[in-house]
Amino acid sequence: MKSSTVRTHPLPILFLVLAVAMIPLCGTAGTPGDTPAVDKPKSAPKSIVIQAMEQELDRSTTGLAKATPPPYFISYRLTEQQRAEVQGSNGALLGSEETHTRWLQTTVRVGSYDLDDTHRVGGADSGSQASFGATAPLDDDPAVLRRLLWQETDRQYRGATEAMLRIETGKDVKVESTEAQAPDFSRESPHVYYGPHVSFQLDRRPWEDKVRLYTNFFRSSAAVLNSIVSMSAQAQNNYMVTSEGTRLQFGQVRYRIELFIQGKAADGMDINRYANFDWVEPSEQPDDKTVLQTAGQIVKEMEALVKAPLVEPTAVPTMLTGRAAAVYFHEIFGHRAEGHRQKDVREGQTFAKKVGEEILPPFLSIYDDPTQARLRNQELLGHYLYDDEGVPAEHVDLVDHGVLKNFEMSRSPLIGFPHSNGHGRAQTGLVPVSRQGNLVVQSSKQVSNAELRKMLIEEVKKQGKPFGLVIDDIAGGFTFTGRGQPQVLQVTPLVVYQVYADGRPDLLVRGVDVIATPLASLKKIVATGDTQEVFNGYCGAESGSVPVAAVAPAMLMSEMEVQKKETSTDRPPILPPPAHDPQAPPEKPTGDKPTGEIR
Amino acid sequence: MTRPRSLPLASIAAFAVLLAAAVAIGRPAPSSAAEDKDQTLHAMRDEMARSRARLVLPPQPAPYYLEYRLLDIEQKTVSASFGDLLSSATSRSRFMDVNARVGDYQLDNTNFIGGNDFQGFIGSTGGVGIDGDYNSLRQDLWLATDQAYKEALNQLSSKRAFLLNLTRPPEIPDFSREQPVKDVEPKLAADWGSRNWEQEARDASSVLRQFPELYGTRIIYHMAVMNYYLMSTEGTEVRVPREVAAIEASLETQSDDGYPLHNYYTAYANTPAGLPPSSLVREGIEKAARNLMAVRNGPAAPDYTGPVLFEPPAAGALVAQILAPSVGGSRPPLASGQGFEQFLERVGGRSEWTGRVGSRVLPLSVSLVDDPLSKDYQGAPLIGGYAVDDEGVHAQRVSMVENGTLKQLLMSRRPGSDFDNSNGHGRGFYLSDPRATMSNLFFEASDTKSPEALRKQFFDLCRQDGHPWCIVVKKMDNPAVAISRQEDFSEYIGAVAGGAASGDRLPLLLYRVYVADGREEPLRGAMLRGMTLRSMRAIAGIGNDFAPFNYMQSQQFGFASTALSAFGGVQGGLPTSVVAPSLLFEDVDVRGARGEPRRAPLLPPPPMN
Repeated sequence: MKSSTVRTHPLPILFLVLAVAMIPLCGTAGTPGDTPAVDKPKSAPKSIVIQAMEQELDRSTTGLAKATPPPYFISYRLTEQQRAEVQGSNGALLGSEETHTRWLQTTVRVGSYDLDDTHRVGGADSGSQASFGATAPLDDDPAVLRRLLWQETDRQYRGATEAMLRIETGKDVKVESTEAQAPDFSRESPHVYYGPHVSFQLDRRPWEDKVRLYTNFFRSSAAVLNSIVSMSAQAQNNYMVTSEGTRLQFGQVRYRIELFIQGKAADGMDINRYANFDWVEPSEQPDDKTVLQTAGQIVKEMEALVKAPLVEPTAVPTMLTGRAAAVYFHEIFGHRAEGHRQKDVREGQTFAKKVGEEILPPFLSIYDDPTQARLRNQELLGHYLYDDEGVPAEHVDLVDHGVLKNFEMSRSPLIGFPHSNGHGRAQTGLVPVSRQGNLVVQSSKQVSNAELRKMLIEEVKKQGKPFGLVIDDIAGGFTFTGRGQPQVLQVTPLVVYQVYADGRPDLLVRGVDVIATPLASLKKIVATGDTQEVFNGYCGAESGSVPVAAVAPAMLMSEMEVQKKETSTDRPPILPPPAHDPQAPPEKPTGDKPTGEIR
Repeated sequence: MTRPRSLPLASIAAFAVLLAAAVAIGRPAPSSAAEDKDQTLHAMRDEMARSRARLVLPPQPAPYYLEYRLLDIEQKTVSASFGDLLSSATSRSRFMDVNARVGDYQLDNTNFIGGNDFQGFIGSTGGVGIDGDYNSLRQDLWLATDQAYKEALNQLSSKRAFLLNLTRPPEIPDFSREQPVKDVEPKLAADWGSRNWEQEARDASSVLRQFPELYGTRIIYHMAVMNYYLMSTEGTEVRVPREVAAIEASLETQSDDGYPLHNYYTAYANTPAGLPPSSLVREGIEKAARNLMAVRNGPAAPDYTGPVLFEPPAAGALVAQILAPSVGGSRPPLASGQGFEQFLERVGGRSEWTGRVGSRVLPLSVSLVDDPLSKDYQGAPLIGGYAVDDEGVHAQRVSMVENGTLKQLLMSRRPGSDFDNSNGHGRGFYLSDPRATMSNLFFEASDTKSPEALRKQFFDLCRQDGHPWCIVVKKMDNPAVAISRQEDFSEYIGAVAGGAASGDRLPLLLYRVYVADGREEPLRGAMLRGMTLRSMRAIAGIGNDFAPFNYMQSQQFGFASTALSAFGGVQGGLPTSVVAPSLLFEDVDVRGARGEPRRAPLLPPPPMN
């Protein structure tokens, strides 16, 4: 019954939860930046929600102005979500539901832009969030929404004043670093935009049949012990008002298919394969043939992987395919270019003082651009109009020809970077911090992917190594940016080949993790391929899970280190799968047809 | 990173939006026509047969007992606040739980905490397909059985290693032998009826718009229709319907001097149709709001020691929370650390009645009966009943205390120091581990008084003590229902948890009643101290105003039925009824209002109309 909104703020361990673009992009190299940003939809009337929020904001601002200390900033954010999800496993539905929710979050800041209740003294957490928010009524009833706003404002105000008192005391006893002397909140000009309300109409029955069809397909392979398929549609409408004058209402609809299968090697190692499809227009939904083709591909990979030999720890020349390189950059670079990490004394601050310095080979440039909705025909999950602090998304050049230029910025400013560039993001219920949107890696030293592979073999020969590695798919990874841990990242490749210099065929291997340290490994990039690939996924960090995309061409590294993957040693199941049991073929079910028993 | 979100088999706890045992109906169905078509039973039977014949990991022993449980649930949940809809959802899900036991009935892998380092592949518990599909269920059961068996082997070896270090290993068996039960009842399909539940929730809650000082409120309508399956290698085959329907409303405010205050309203029924109409619910929550406002405007409770009268439903709630930890006779689990025992001790979760059969535990005039087969009390429906318990044992009426003397304890299939066999009281929330638990508890007495006579006795005691006023309790607290926000709930429980073991009880509506004229005045912020089983032996007077108190019994691990967590909500508790009359105690410590007041809201609430 209790809503599970209490979330702890974890250590700065960032992880990217998979998602793979299964369709390699064809065609020649291009500059994705050329793709124009999607225009905002036409404006719409101001909603009842915004009106109620304005009324209560006015009352709070006026009423609390006389309090000590008075708030200098109040914002209300309401997230409305319509979500349909159909999930299945092993040929049957697990569930099929549509839900409709509204979640209200309020922010009250006391103090000033330079020093407020969110200030971090030394390594302490700022403790001002007295409420994670509250469920708001679905009915458009200003009176009840205002009652809730009143309650939440009071809670947050109380939390903010208590935090402010602690900060004022704490500041006198702790030494502060230069970085921490940046203001606590950036001054931004207000934005007003009223977009149309978005929603979807979905008959879930055809989806239910598709989920049955897709999961049933996986039953054909004895290597697939368990399969899960989900199809989801989500319409999210955001409403925001702030005491600075920002008034926003806008929405976004997204659709997704996820395929996930699990297997086990004879030595007990768990093997997973995953694929996903994302689209925004109902007409773009992949057809059964496309999905089943992908399903067939991951089954084939699963069957090969459960039999593949283990690889020993080694450091050899390595080629990352585009989507693997995209994850690699998301982890090793993207997270370290998040502005707030340059400020927190507990962070490693890898790049904090490197602006203007060369951190990458000069043929590489990187930008983050949430305004970009697509890369050619492919959806980019990190697209949005306004961030979760109400700042318009901006294209940010992070690295220009190897030289660090900028950071992904939220409204938490840095010395020299006083403004947000629209990267303050959070999962509903959490406090926004600077996060990636669409991270795009561009290269001016491109060769064809075939040429890049030749270069890999040359490099193997030159170094006298027995083999090199080609990493084709990565499940996601995590990176430590905090000081309490070594500055390493680790990614878990799912599909890895050993490539031999002597012309032997490539060998699929398993059981490796890639480990790297940021500054050293970025310099080991030798050349890139000519085709940018997209990795769409959900990235988890202290402000929760947010959709992101990473885009990169294939990369050749002069050396990459792999270690043994932590693995399960549980034996595979003792009995064969019921459907593949030679001693006892499954009894033919009688009576009702196997599906639709009750309904 | 793997994605636990997508693993249906890991989702059971997360979606504990559920229900547990409820009312069951009827006797074993004579015909087997229905079961022949049930692919669920087919799949369970076939996979169990295969596992029984061939599941073994030489040189380890094969399981001596395998059990499949499956819960098929349809549920509808609607919530509203001040007349506005907050949410409405209807869902269907199915969950399985596979248990394997290795060793033998005397000593097996269970009843042991600690030392389980088995990593597991998918889990022996989790969501399964809702299509009632044969093939997918066999696949899920296959993996879960494999997992359960390997876990069991691991647990048994850890347990054996632990036992080597004990000077005297326990002599109580791990598992009772019971007659297999075949009871395949007709399947129950959800029927939410023709009532517009969304509108009823709006209508009922809109009555609260007239209370500007009511800061937060939420009403939840929750209905669940279940079919519970149980199959074991002993030959038990059970498919029984279970149903529960509930209305729960929280009401919250703060006194002008800053103390958070709350009240609640509940209505429970055995079917959706049994829920009261919104006009009655409206009346009920309006009354709850008026009582809360009266408490809000009343004086803070002073410290007090003297006579206290508990009227229904407070009396039933008091009996429920004091008795719950002690009515079960099962052995506690062995724990490889001392922590578990100490934990139970600290939170008041240990049975004080095991080992005391034959002793006097209550006043000579008092008897206690727990009867899952009862359906009503003088026409008022009871909600704790069932025909077959969650371990597949037929429900039995148990006469626990006769004329003050302890005769029997409630038993699941986990034996205890006094009894070896189950008496059909193994109940678990959802598919959690069944434990010996109350169902419909009847507090009976041979020397009862009319409410008037009891009140006279109460006043006499007050005068003897020299009190111009005494205390009467009309409602006990249920924070799990009364507080809607997780943050506030945690804060409240944190503030009061310390006294759980020493018998702290939380009254909700407590009045000072003046001996001179019988005038009643609500007090706020009081807590009752030292109300333990010992207090029950010293009941000074018993009314004849017996009334059922229906509630959801919490089975939170560790806290199960302890002093503070006796009560849950419908989405976290087992339907339970206690029938009890007014109870008079001669000497109770009442602690006056304490705690840190919070500043009251700076601005008045915005207008509601």
